[in-house]
Amino acid sequence: MTQQISPMPERKLTRDEVIALKNKRTLVTVFQISWIMVFVCLAVVAIQIRGTSGPLPALNAIQVIVPLGATLALLGSVWTAWQSLKAIQADQRARFFVFWRYTLVLGGAFILVMLAVMAFNPYGDLLQYSQIFRVMVVYHALHALVIGAWMVQVYRNAAQGAYGSSDAWGVEAGAKLWYFVVIAWVLFYAVLYVF
Amino acid sequence: MATISAPLPGIQVSEEGKLRIGDYLKWSVDHKIIGVQYAVTALFFFIIGGALAMAIRWELLTPALDVAADGTAYNQFFTMHGTVMIFLWIIPMMAGFGNYLVPLMLGAKDMAFPWLNAFAFWLIPPAGVLMILGYFAGQAQAGWTAYPPLSTMFSDGDGQTMWAIAIHLLGASSILGALNFIVTIRNMRPEGMGYFQMPLFVWAMLATSIIIVMATPFLAGGLTLLILDRVAGTAFFNPAQGGDVLLWQNVFWFYSHPAVYIMVLPGFGMLSEVLSVHARKNVFGYRAIALSSMAIALVGFTVWAHHMFTSLTPSLRIPFMVTSMIIAVPTGIKIFSWIGTIWGGKIRFNSAMLFGLGFLSMFVIGGISGVMLAAVPFDLHVHDTYFVVSHFHFVLYGGSVLAIYAGIYHWWPKVTGTLLNESMGKWHFWLTYVSFFFTFFPMHLLGMLGMPRRVAVYAPEFQTLNSIVSFASFVLGISTFILLYNMVYSLIKRKQAGPNPWRALTLEWATSSPPPAHNFHGDPVPYKNPYGYGTEAAYRYLEAQEAELGKSWPNLEEEPARALKPSSSPAGD
Ligand code: HEM
Ligand SMILES: [Cu+2]
Repeated sequence: MTQQISPMPERKLTRDEVIALKNKRTLVTVFQISWIMVFVCLAVVAIQIRGTSGPLPALNAIQVIVPLGATLALLGSVWTAWQSLKAIQADQRARFFVFWRYTLVLGGAFILVMLAVMAFNPYGDLLQYSQIFRVMVVYHALHALVIGAWMVQVYRNAAQGAYGSSDAWGVEAGAKLWYFVVIAWVLFYAVLYVF
Repeated sequence: MATISAPLPGIQVSEEGKLRIGDYLKWSVDHKIIGVQYAVTALFFFIIGGALAMAIRWELLTPALDVAADGTAYNQFFTMHGTVMIFLWIIPMMAGFGNYLVPLMLGAKDMAFPWLNAFAFWLIPPAGVLMILGYFAGQAQAGWTAYPPLSTMFSDGDGQTMWAIAIHLLGASSILGALNFIVTIRNMRPEGMGYFQMPLFVWAMLATSIIIVMATPFLAGGLTLLILDRVAGTAFFNPAQGGDVLLWQNVFWFYSHPAVYIMVLPGFGMLSEVLSVHARKNVFGYRAIALSSMAIALVGFTVWAHHMFTSLTPSLRIPFMVTSMIIAVPTGIKIFSWIGTIWGGKIRFNSAMLFGLGFLSMFVIGGISGVMLAAVPFDLHVHDTYFVVSHFHFVLYGGSVLAIYAGIYHWWPKVTGTLLNESMGKWHFWLTYVSFFFTFFPMHLLGMLGMPRRVAVYAPEFQTLNSIVSFASFVLGISTFILLYNMVYSLIKRKQAGPNPWRALTLEWATSSPPPAHNFHGDPVPYKNPYGYGTEAAYRYLEAQEAELGKSWPNLEEEPARALKPSSSPAGD
């Protein structure tokens, strides 16, 4: 849960700082487990509504490919976020900036595309289902935007020289919260497009 | 032995042991101050909820409409009564005990995230104000369960929307608090204190927090949809447009059944402390008590539909009946463990212990009526009658509230450094205990005779029982003021308690009363078994503690012989 990503940096920390870091890591983990339950709730509601609202209209190729592409971009951002976290923990700043930028671009593209998909809601004829579809996409996008804003802030902090191998918490928190955004979306995607 | 604790930015180091009212009225990150802030806020709302209860019982004195202007006004009474009692009294009060005690019991300087802790508390007053301001906008009237379409199509006033937003805030507060407890308990135990050396109250807070972080987000999801139905024109729960009202019931109870354990598990934890300390005996079945809390937390997620037996697909009734009966097993394990704990002990019948025993006896009745309700054939007859009202008051008043009283009498000396008056405590107990019973027990009969819940007028044949209930409830309401008076009296009299008046072994007593800003004077050494009373080693430990911290009542000063009845003197430890 609170894996040591690199054993080197923490050697310099005091005992209290080590515990503070451990606390923050546990907090983020427990928060993720907890808050994902809201997404589970909405996913269950969507399944339930689909059960009562009759068959969904068949989606055309564009309606399938566009969300799939956005989701793949989002999955790609997991890898780039992870690379930039590893980079900053190894004090490779240039590499960090490259991958963090990729992450921001992929994430931003995902949000824009999905909001557009929502605007062209394909379920207009099914009142409740189209509403829950909108709620899910917007609810997810709100989380992505808030956490994305923090990631932009991390980028700006880093540009001013913040973070390094001994102090990468801001980056780590951003990356882990972004993973949360991705997991939440994978859950929604599975409910809305796969099953 | 070192304590572990994160740095505490911004904590005020006030003069040793000095309580200043002003410290409690402003933002503070000291968990002790926050704990008191929770408790005082909760007590304030307890009085409001209690006043509403009196209004309800006054209305029900006679079969006709007496107090409420109309049915809607009556609906508003019980809606606000239930909501205030659950979300603004019991849950925050338990959070208050947790905040005050968990770091102390762990020998830590504070919670893991002091700032977050303060933030979680400060969400409560605005939420409470919002809830009450609903009065001016058409108060919420759909019951604390807010079933649509009552809470949507048939509640025009904005009060119902304000209600939903307030509950949202309170849920957020509760989740943030629980995250903090989990991190604190996981990471900040002192060396030498494994999970199975933790005081049982800490176990209870851990189980409660796990339930909160897993269940409360469901309420957040459901409330979001409810608010959208009310303000954004969606139709999730609107049957007229093909929406599904049962959807809300499922989501709500998936949160709210676990939530009933959020309300009572901390009480279970307090009871374990109180019974063991005042019976001077080791807790019977420590692991059984600790792990049964976890079992309750787990099984609690599988029983929600027992609140919907009448509207549920019939084939699902039996599975939910079985899980509901299973959940009584870990609860029963606790009951027997507590009886085993006091069995053969040198019981001090002081106020804390009396309320502990009161809890034990009344909660059992609520547990039994719970199992009766879990039986589908019975529930189909008494669902939505006064039988259910009786059941949940036996578990929530007879359980949670009596536990809170036991906790107040037990920890008041630690929090304030002064003693509560024991005679007043006993008056409080006996009046509460007896009037509680006569307020809620006859409701079983009313329910089985067929009186529905949530009605302002009723059939004349129910009048006798209802009058008994109402008169008893007035006594119950008045008896509460004995406690409030006792508190004020104690703060004025300032009869010193000393660090450890009950000669308890858990760490919150291993410091002065009230504890200094960073809780301990040095690094506290936990005794190997927090409940190892009655042993030579425990006696030595307490002697060494007294030598270091000074004497406590009753040895602190010469007490009049009256106060030193044999049962209240520390013996055999
Ligand atoms: C022994 C375990 C328990 C069982 C088997 C049980 C079972 C039930 C059942 C079947 C109902 C629904 C009755 C109906 O509406 O027809 C119910 C209602 C209720 N129970 Fe329990 N219960 C148990 C313990 C508790 C505890 C410990 C609490 C709280 C601390 C509690 C609080 C409530 C509340 C608040 C309601 C009523 C909710 C409402 O409709 O307003 N129960 N219980
Ligand atoms: Cu239940």
